[in-house]
This record gives sequence, C-alpha cells and structure tokens, in this order.
Amino acid sequence: MSKVRRPDCVVIGGGPAGLAAALAASSAGLDDVLLIERDIELGGILPQCIHDGFGSIVFKETLTGPQYAQRYVDELARTNVEVMLETIVLDLAPDRRITAMNSRDGLVDIEPRSVILAMGCRERTRHQVLLPGYRPAGVITAGAAQRYINIEGLMPGGKVVILGSGDIGLIMARRFTLEGATVEGVYEILDHPGGLTRNIVQCLNDFEIPLHLSHTVTFIHGPGRVEGVTVAAVDRERLPVPGSERHIPCDTLMLSVGLIPENELSKRADLRLDPVTAGPLVDERMETSVDGIFACGNVVNVYDLVDYVTHSAEIAGRGAAERVLEGRPRKAPVTVVPGRNVKYVVPQLVRSFERDIDFYFRVEHPEKAVRMTVKAGGETLGRRKAKMVHPPEMAMIPASVPGGGSEGVRELVVEVAPDAE
Amino acid sequence: MDELPGRAGVVVIGAGVIGCSIARELTRYTHDVVILDKESDVSSGTSKANNAEVHSGIGEKSGTLKQRLNVRGNQMYDDFVSGLNVDFRRQGLLIVITPRSLPEGLARYSPGFLCDFLNRRVLPRLIVRSGNRKGIPWLTVVDRDEIFRMEPNVTRDAIVGVHDRTYGLVSPYKLTIALAEHAVLNGARLCLDTRVTGIRTEGGAVRAVVTDAGEIECGIVVNAAGVYADEIADMAGAGGFRIHGRKGATLIFDREATREYVKGSVAEFRITGRKKRTSKGGGAMPTLEGNLQLGPTAIEVDDKEDTSISGDEIREIFDRFHYLLPDFPRDSVIAMFSGVRAPSEDEDFIIGASKEVAGFVNVAGMQSPGLASAPAVAEMVMQILHDLGIPRVKRAYFNQARPTPRMFADCERAEQEALIERDRRHGHIVCRCEQVTEADVVNAIHGVVPARSMDAVKRRTRAGMGRCQGGFCTPWISEILARELGVPRHEITKKGPGSELFVGPAKCLLDGASRRDGDGGAV
Repeated sequence: MSKVRRPDCVVIGGGPAGLAAALAASSAGLDDVLLIERDIELGGILPQCIHDGFGSIVFKETLTGPQYAQRYVDELARTNVEVMLETIVLDLAPDRRITAMNSRDGLVDIEPRSVILAMGCRERTRHQVLLPGYRPAGVITAGAAQRYINIEGLMPGGKVVILGSGDIGLIMARRFTLEGATVEGVYEILDHPGGLTRNIVQCLNDFEIPLHLSHTVTFIHGPGRVEGVTVAAVDRERLPVPGSERHIPCDTLMLSVGLIPENELSKRADLRLDPVTAGPLVDERMETSVDGIFACGNVVNVYDLVDYVTHSAEIAGRGAAERVLEGRPRKAPVTVVPGRNVKYVVPQLVRSFERDIDFYFRVEHPEKAVRMTVKAGGETLGRRKAKMVHPPEMAMIPASVPGGGSEGVRELVVEVAPDAE
Repeated sequence: MDELPGRAGVVVIGAGVIGCSIARELTRYTHDVVILDKESDVSSGTSKANNAEVHSGIGEKSGTLKQRLNVRGNQMYDDFVSGLNVDFRRQGLLIVITPRSLPEGLARYSPGFLCDFLNRRVLPRLIVRSGNRKGIPWLTVVDRDEIFRMEPNVTRDAIVGVHDRTYGLVSPYKLTIALAEHAVLNGARLCLDTRVTGIRTEGGAVRAVVTDAGEIECGIVVNAAGVYADEIADMAGAGGFRIHGRKGATLIFDREATREYVKGSVAEFRITGRKKRTSKGGGAMPTLEGNLQLGPTAIEVDDKEDTSISGDEIREIFDRFHYLLPDFPRDSVIAMFSGVRAPSEDEDFIIGASKEVAGFVNVAGMQSPGLASAPAVAEMVMQILHDLGIPRVKRAYFNQARPTPRMFADCERAEQEALIERDRRHGHIVCRCEQVTEADVVNAIHGVVPARSMDAVKRRTRAGMGRCQGGFCTPWISEILARELGVPRHEITKKGPGSELFVGPAKCLLDGASRRDGDGGAV
C-alpha cells in the first residue's frame, strides 16, 4: 500500500471540462491537483474537431477544436497541476477513494480530498435505437468516424447515409464530402433538425446534401459490409409509413442519434442521477449528492457548446477548491423544478444564493416569442426573453437573490411562457 | 492457421460446436484429423448466435434422437468442459404456469374451478412426470411464493411453477473455440477460409474432399456443416435430406440495468392449440456475465445466411416478454443478434454413416438443443467412427488440459498486479466497458486458434460487447490487430474478407489517390 496518494483534488478526464476544472481548482488555491486522462494526449474529443466554431463565448473568437484545447493545455503547463496520461480510473468509491491504472505504475490508490468528474459522454449505438437489419461492418457512429478520418488517417466509407441530424453528424456530412465520399442524405426521425441551425446551413445546405425530416432507416442490408439501407417516412408516432420505403445502396451508415453522459464511475460512487439528463444531480457549484465529489461538462448533461462545458467546469473547479480550503458543512438544498415547456434544468439543486447562478435548460418543444423566468414562490429571481426557443439549443437565465438570503425558499421553478407584450 | 494438407485420416467439415466436439473427441484416439470451415474463425455460423442454454431435454418429444441425446448430453456436460477452461454453470430453468398456459379454447369454455384445478394441480405434475420419464432428475413443483422468491420480476399472474435444476449456461462460441483449440493442441489441423466444393468418391467410398484451396485425400468424412449439411451430403451422393433455415433473434440488455433480473432461465408454459413442432421456443435467461437476454424467435427463412433481425421480430420479443416479465427495461437493449438454425424436415437430428457412400458420416439437422446435445453427439459419432476403423484405444499422450491466459477482468487485485508485473500491456485498458487490456487482446490474436478479425477478438475477450458496442475500443483494437498481424489497418475486417472496416487510408477517395496506397497509420 505504499502507492497511496492524497492530493487536494483529482480531476477525472482531460477533455475541455477536465482541463478547465483543473485550472480553476489550481487558480482558486489548490496546490496538489491531479488530472487523470485515459488517452495519449489532453483535449478529449477536441483534437478531432478540426472544424471551427469553438470559443465564441469564452474567447469572443471562433477557434478550431485543437486550438481551443491548446489554450488550456498551454495554460495548464504554467501551473503545478500534475497530469497522468494513458491512465484509466477503474473505480471510484463513495468515500472518494480512486483506483487508477496505467502500464507504467500498475494499479494506483488515490485518496483525494475532492474529486471532479469530467468523463464526458458517449454515443448512442444502433442497438440502443433498435435499428433492424444485419450486423455488417460500416455501421459507425459520427464521433468514431470523425476520429478515424481526422486522427487515425483512415477512411471509414465511400458512400454514406446519415441517420440523425445531431451536430457531429452534420459536421461529418461535410467532412466526408470534403474527403471525396458521397453523402446521399441525412435522415431525421423527428420533424425538426437535431443540430444547431448554423450547422444545417454550413454543413448541409452549402454542400447540397438533402435533409429528410420525419424519416428513418428501417433496415440495414449486409451481411459482410453495409450494402445499402432501407429508409421510410414516419408518422406522428414515429412509426414507418407503409409504402414509403426506399432502398439506398451505400457502404456506410453513419449514426448521429444522440449522446449519453458517461456515468459508470458516478454509479460506482453511488451518486444520485437525474433520470432526464442521465447525469448526476448537481448544485450551484456543481457538487453532486456525495460530499466532495463534483461533476462538470457532458457528464452532467450534454451541452451543445464547448463554452458552456468550460463554464460548468470552472464552477466545479472553484467549488472543489472552496470545499477543500473552507471545509464547512453543506446546507440542505432547495430543488429546482422544470416548469412549463422546460425539459430539465442544471443545476437541479441550490444550496446557497450568495452568488449569482446561471440556470441552463432545454425546452421540450419549439416556441416563438417567449419569456423565460426563474421564480421562487411569487418572486422572480431572473428573467430573459427570446424570439425563438427549440430543443437542440440550450437556454440560460442568470438569476440572483438580492442580499443572498435564501430563507423561506422551498423550491425554484424555471419556466418558459408566451411573451405577453 | 494450418495449410491444407494433402491427406488426412478424418476430415470434419464445419467448425461449429458439433464439428469441434467431434474433432476433439477424435483426437483422443488419433491425431490425424483435419477440420475445415469456409469462415475465417471457428463458431462463425449457427453456434455463435445461440442463447447459451444447455437444455435438460424436458421440452423435447419423447422417442426422438434429439431428446435422448439432449438428456445424455446435459448429464455429460461437467466432464465435457473439464480441462477446457470454459465457464459452465447450472443456473436452472423455472417453468411458469399462468392463466395463459391452457389452450385458449379450453380456458374460455371451461368453468373457472376446472381451469384452476388443471393449472394448479394437473399441469405441474404432468410436466414433472413427463420429465422424469425422459430421464431428467430433480424436477420440483414450486408454489407461487417460491416463484417470486426465486424470480421476483416474474408476472404476478404466475400460478405455480416447475423448477428444473439441470439447465445450464455455457458460452457457445467460447466453448467452440475451446474445443477447437483443445483438438489442435492434440494434433488436429484446422483449415479456415476453406470452402468445400466437392466430395470425391470411388467405388462407393469416400476418397477425397475437394476445396477451393485444394484436395485432401481421406477415407472418412464427417459432415457437420450445419445449414449446409444437405448440400455437402449431396456432393458425396450421401444425401436425400433437406435442411431449411430457421432464424432466431435475441435481444441482450445492459448488464448494469439487468443484473440478476432473472437468476436462471424462465419460460412460460403454454399449450398451443395447433400441433406444431418447431425449435425450442425461447425464454428469458441471464448470460454468464449477468446480462438479461430475451429470445430467440423462430422464423422460417429461405436464405441460409439471413442473420438479420427485423423490426417485427424486435416487436414480437417485446410483446412476448411483456407478459412474463412486465417491467423488463425496454430501453436498455445493448445488442441484438440472430442466427439460423439447421432443422431437418422431421425436426430430428440426422446422425449416421451413409449407406450409399462408405466413410461418409452425416451429423445434420442440428438445432436447439444442439449445444446441450454436443457431448452426446460426439460420443455417438465416435462409436460410428470406431466402426469405420478409428482405433478404439485411447492415445497415451492425449493432453487433458487446454491452458488459457488469465484475463485481467477475471482477476482479483493481487493477481491483476501480478499480471501487470509480467506484461505491462495489462496496464492498458482498451475496452473500458468490459475492462479488457491490450495484453488480453494480444493473447487472443496469438492464441492456439488465432483471432484475426474484430469479431474474433470480441468472442475471445468480450472487447466491444459492452454498452458502447465498440465505439471506443474499435480504434485501439483495429490498431493492435494490424500491428500484430503485420497488415495495413484498412485491411482489418469485422468478420473476415468482405467485411473491411475501412475503404482505405484517408484521402484515398480524392483525386490521384489509390485505395491501396500506403498504410493508414496514425498521422
């Protein structure tokens, strides 16, 4: 047991969330911060995101993924944060004990004073969306395709059909086209696109790739390599409309059908999870239901901009530092409830109103000309107006309690309502 | 992989669980055995897409060969797997009687007390008595409370049950790989990617097997070709039976959501109105690793390679088990697969030496309970082969054990540390869902029957079987495969030629670049 380490803070995951959390924890005064990353380099998914569009909020300029990551990697090098690469965390116990492993040190026990979870998310697979057909090679998720083309130097397909209009799928429609592949079309089961409007314009429209809304893939033809797919229109219940089937020859079916927060370690640590976000419940400083374990970025919920990920990570980093340096007991939390046309809100809990809190949320359905509010009883703590809200684009309301007092507050409600004016 | 030899004592066609069981049994008496298969790995056909159940024989019709070999095979299983390093567990089967058990017509037009009496008193005893007659020991009637103690997720409609403790679980592909390796360790030669195109006979006797890789002279051929057994038999003129495909689809659920969801196999007892003999009709059961599996379906197919799963089949499974397990987690499916059974026209096994062609032995009509019957099938075929001249005396130097490298995830902490100490590549997890290390993958690639494709690595290590279904580990494993096999990465396949993962290195589709230019290594 000579290997036990006791750092102030361990950050699990070296993507955008982990990088910003480690930096924030360090600059908030923690001397001994350890960042653990599984891959051979820092940055998480960013090194493979060679398109631009990152950093418009944090840096007020648009960067590529590698550029965005490099800013944090460079800054991290100027701190005394220790980075362990090619290291996997095998276990996290509710008392924060960590078992990590790499091929250099073997199994390592760590007993940190705080933990920040920043493992990101993973992609939904064809089986999770119950896609019928054969199981050939050539059925691939968008993020994996991006990794092959941009990092590994391999071309996963030549004639591609895309199911799902999530952002990575749209980005990859353009990327495949630029690499000389043919993208036959993007099929989306919903009646509205899953990705950001700017990606529909820049990645599909500019390359004349058709987007078929209310359509899905009903069969994957094989058996060795994908030989084609059957697509069909769907009705309001999202069931295929008989007679609308069309066979499309292709060698690849790329899926962009959603991301799931990666919470295997959270479950091992017995964190309470939100069934809607599939991530841990967090309070205003991103602390989970377990004392001293924080979470940020896509572990908590899938953000649509890396800037929001960074923002949540900075809060978590500062929170972990406060926890270690001040160590005062936690107050009982107030619950944040999703109100009218709100699917979920992060944070789900509030323990202190001393600082302003940004509430991030997603709406359930598109709505025009709305007023978005955070209310405590009869009192409005924050409000914003929007010309248009829709599910793929996250909304945010900054809120504050004058004087920071929270006495008498039982519950907060975030809601979206038609703007009367 | 072995080169095709010019001659052999016995050629076994088909490297599924039946062919490999027979080949392994043969090596106890002779080393001069060649196993042929058209695929690039063993267990690539029916055997791999199986629910892993070792049935007791309770569901089989009395008097059939299948029923007799099933009961015998089940009883032989512990000895059969000993030394193979394959997990085998008798998890038991709970047969549940519900208000749907009686035929619909009878239930509708009979007074309630009668149905109740039949369900509660008569059916369980009939099941037990019929099982005992078939030679299945230890069948017990369990009351309603005991059902819920055993399987808390079963429908509250359950009336009474029968517990069959002899039911077992074994990974069909791990067993097949183990049998093939055990045979090879004892002198058998395994020739994969080799398709049989003809059987040469002379004067009413087998002379040679003709393949796309050349000819093997031999005096004895064992036809264990699964769905193609009829076609192989016809090549020799030893046929006269037909094998048709019957597809079975199964859903596998996330282990995290379904661990202990069912503790053993669970099936609802139903007397259907029509007399229709088909393959065993599926149930709910755990995998050895703890995932819930539901299925399989039974659908006749024209195409013997139809391993697809249709939307209707998915719905059928959902509907069927919605009654037996009302709250099963529908949103936790992580994998779906289907396989094609190889039933004969009368649904029974066809095992015997051909009367027309000396030296030709058919082992056909294999469907469930083929996995359970495999030990008994091998025993029976061995008797036939002795009659054809294979010595009855066991070889003195038969190697009883099939050693396997320890897998990281199967070890306790101290042993894991020792593994890393011995091979640093055990410190590198490549599949995080199933905690498979680089060393585990390398060991599989250099195993006795080497893994040469993604699926072959998956079957040996579980890498890619978890909830991300290969999303994270495919880049790593394809790279390790390319490195260890010494081929460019874009030539790595999912399951043999024609299933390449990539169309070529990056830029291969742009002007001037050719698909075969250069290696697709990391940039």
